[in-house]
Amino acid sequence: MSVLTMAAYSTELPLRTDLNDAHEEMAQRWATTGLWWSGAERLAIVEEVRNARDSERLAPWESPSQIDGLVSDDHVLPAAAVDAIWRITNHPGTLTAEWHASILGQGLHPEAYVELVGVVAQANAVDRFADALNLERVQLPDPSHAQPARSSDPSVQIASHWVPTAKIKGPNVVKALSAVPFENESMQLLSSVQYVPLGDLLSDLVSNQNSLSRLQIEVLAARTSKLNECFY
Amino acid sequence: MNQDAEVTFEAIDNSESGNGGVEHGALLSRLCEAIYNEDGDQLASVKDQVIESAGADVLVDAVAVSANFYMMTRIADATGTPLDAGSVEPSVQIRQLVGVNSFTSRREAPA
Repeated sequence: MSVLTMAAYSTELPLRTDLNDAHEEMAQRWATTGLWWSGAERLAIVEEVRNARDSERLAPWESPSQIDGLVSDDHVLPAAAVDAIWRITNHPGTLTAEWHASILGQGLHPEAYVELVGVVAQANAVDRFADALNLERVQLPDPSHAQPARSSDPSVQIASHWVPTAKIKGPNVVKALSAVPFENESMQLLSSVQYVPLGDLLSDLVSNQNSLSRLQIEVLAARTSKLNECFY
Repeated sequence: MNQDAEVTFEAIDNSESGNGGVEHGALLSRLCEAIYNEDGDQLASVKDQVIESAGADVLVDAVAVSANFYMMTRIADATGTPLDAGSVEPSVQIRQLVGVNSFTSRREAPA
């Protein structure tokens, strides 16, 4: 069997080109200047997801920023962001409205929090894929040096979620990151190659995707969601 | 695969209950458990079984789907995403069957 060497991964497994390309594109998107976080900060978010996954597991109520030696004093991210990254990564099923309010209470802008959630969630998906298949994790490129605009969109408002959302159509989970459209695009990019195109989520319940039937896909999706204690 | 086959929620509840009418359902459920548990030996064994029973392309695609839900669950739970209005009533029985009603993420998501 020949070794497939592409931008994101090198493996003998029959990795689809679209999947490989999407993960490479995700790394580029993480390094791009965001709406609220710089490229360097966004890459630091990804690195912190990796730290959280690779370190000794903390209890949900333990904050890494409060543990001596775990987070450097000159970390590029504020302590509230680091604590949020670890909690979302390792204990997503324990998140509460009060916890969310406490993170914002430490000075994180609500829309900066949305962008952070997007990057954290994407990094969890991409790295979990690589780890499960014993692949080298996607390499992180150099960051963009442009500064983020950090400008709030007055049309986004808190309506149905804890976080502000834009008035867009679709399932509530598709609205979740809508305050930061770039992160919503990233979520849809990943979902379209790893799951099903979100536009087809409810309109096409029978078509196979690649080597899997839609029923098999939904078993994988639902079992994983239950293991992560996700009610949605 | 015949999409008209009778399907149950066994493979979603746990991997010990059966395929639930889905081809390789229990095996795919075990794969999800092994990925979640991050136990190298367990994962290696299940991956070998998937390749032997269904093929390497199924393994890659199945891992991709499962990994995607490490993203979707975190987005939903970190943003307080509520159930969609049209799915609250129809999902009552399903939620009971798969045992998710006690999850913290239910209590905290807006109705």
